[in-house]
Amino acid sequence: MQATAQEAGSRRARAAAGLETGLARIRRPFGWLLLALVASYAWLVVGAPIDSVQGVIQKILYVHPPLAYGAYLGFVLTAVGGVLYLRSNREIYDQLAVAGAEVGVVFCTLMMVTGPIWAKGTWGHWWSWDPRLTLTLLLWFVYLSYLLLRGFTEGGARTARFASVYGIVGTLLIPLNYFVIDLFQGRTMHPANLARGSLGSGMGMPFLVANLTLFAAFVYLVLLRWEVEFWRARSLEDDALEAEEFGAR
Amino acid sequence: MMYLIAAYGITIGTLAFYLSVLLRERRRLSRDARRSG
Repeated sequence: MQATAQEAGSRRARAAAGLETGLARIRRPFGWLLLALVASYAWLVVGAPIDSVQGVIQKILYVHPPLAYGAYLGFVLTAVGGVLYLRSNREIYDQLAVAGAEVGVVFCTLMMVTGPIWAKGTWGHWWSWDPRLTLTLLLWFVYLSYLLLRGFTEGGARTARFASVYGIVGTLLIPLNYFVIDLFQGRTMHPANLARGSLGSGMGMPFLVANLTLFAAFVYLVLLRWEVEFWRARSLEDDALEAEEFGAR
Repeated sequence: MMYLIAAYGITIGTLAFYLSVLLRERRRLSRDARRSG
């Protein structure tokens, strides 16, 4: 009996080590890519043309929308992880969902900090109950609640299943958040979504590199957070196994 | 200019802090796992 438990334990350990190595192997190139991109990002933002209407504050453009895309991507990953978990019951997908939600919330929080700073400099006030801003706040609350749900419950399959459904339903807010300006036919304080040719001359390249840099940062952080979640689950499993062995003695 | 510096400073500072927390946590957990075999 004890031998079977040991065998299962070592099988689990081998699988875990393989997976961990795989995640780290994918993560590392993104780290190098990020380092290379950060330098060109800084250089391009400093050299980007100054907007004739807003002045230098318009350079927040190179951080605010890329953070929003990162937040959306994080929440989509939570839903993808949720769907995969519900289909396969494999814990690794639930861990991906948690990683996506946490990094998404970090990006969403930063988007909600940089936005009001930009607003203060251009509109003259920090916040407006504009449809886009209100929905973004709601989106932030939805995923913050997801993390609280994960943090304040004991875990286990039931929590993971509930969180998966919650994460999938939560993504319905993303298209609504993105297209709300079109739904209100532009009658919002928040500027319209960026479209081809809507950026001023010389702003396209810094904007592209900004998006690539924050995307690389996003991927690196998600993979690292996934690894952490994976190690945490393994540590809990080890504790449970030890307690079982102690009880058997 | 101050607003611009604040926006970039908060973003870079927060992401760097978050990265350092994750790296430390990952190192601690993998060390514990190795120790317990």
